[in-house]
Amino acid sequence: MKRFIIAFIAAFIFIFLWGWFYNGTLLKDVFAEAQTLFRPREEMMGLFHWIIIGQAGLALAFVMIYASGFAGGGIAAGVRLGIMLEILAIGARCAIYATQPFPAKLLVLISIGGFIEMIVTGVIVGAIYKPAAARTS
Amino acid sequence: MKAPGFHGLTKKPQQTEIMDWKKFFIAFVAAFGFMFVFGFIWYGKLMQGAHMEVPALWRPEADFGSHFSWLVFGHIVMAVFLTLLCSKFVPAGGAGPCAHLGVLLALVYVGNDFITYAVQPLTMKILCGWIVGALIQFGVAAAIIGAIYKSASPATIQVPKS
Repeated sequence: MKRFIIAFIAAFIFIFLWGWFYNGTLLKDVFAEAQTLFRPREEMMGLFHWIIIGQAGLALAFVMIYASGFAGGGIAAGVRLGIMLEILAIGARCAIYATQPFPAKLLVLISIGGFIEMIVTGVIVGAIYKPAAARTS
Repeated sequence: MKAPGFHGLTKKPQQTEIMDWKKFFIAFVAAFGFMFVFGFIWYGKLMQGAHMEVPALWRPEADFGSHFSWLVFGHIVMAVFLTLLCSKFVPAGGAGPCAHLGVLLALVYVGNDFITYAVQPLTMKILCGWIVGALIQFGVAAAIIGAIYKSASPATIQVPKS
């Protein structure tokens, strides 16, 4: 349980910092090109706790899936899980692209960032979380 | 924390599961069919009123029609990788264990939905609808896959006696 919690906290911190750096800073101008699809900045800041809850939920779901079926495979299994989850997310993003007028460039850049995010999260979770049996052997 | 494992997931080290590609394909087609039809009914029909509260967020009808192939492609990608995840990590199959995996995968989407709610002008009704929709869509699709797909009989690797 201790390693589960540490893996969750580490994954959450990384996802939060990466989200701030990549989406909040690097892609700031690209997001601005589709301003009509987003809330005004002040309104977004007022709902910031939803971002925290969402990122915590994402990190928790990742660690739960890893612990349920991937644990024991170490970092490689974590990376594999991260890649599969991001490809699933890209599938959902294609469906979003069909329904919402996002610029394709923005969704491609978000997907590139998503791959990096999920792969590094996989490395972090795979390195920290070990099932009880693996630790005692 | 002890890794609970999905029921039927536990592997004996001497055995390897063989992918049954015919069942894999049938499971994928069934999952795709369910996800697409459910998505059309849930998001396209039942939630249409909620979506129309923020019309600026959506493509006009004609524009949506010209991007429809992306909707189909996205569902194919989701169905393929959901089938792959279920077949690789619940090789013994079974609707229950796969539904469990499907619900956990839906929680990843739920996390993203919360973030989307913070940055896009969605209503709370849309957020709740998307969350319930993701849980049903992935839970049931994964259960369908689990009911159809089982890996072929495990091949026992002969360990030479030393």
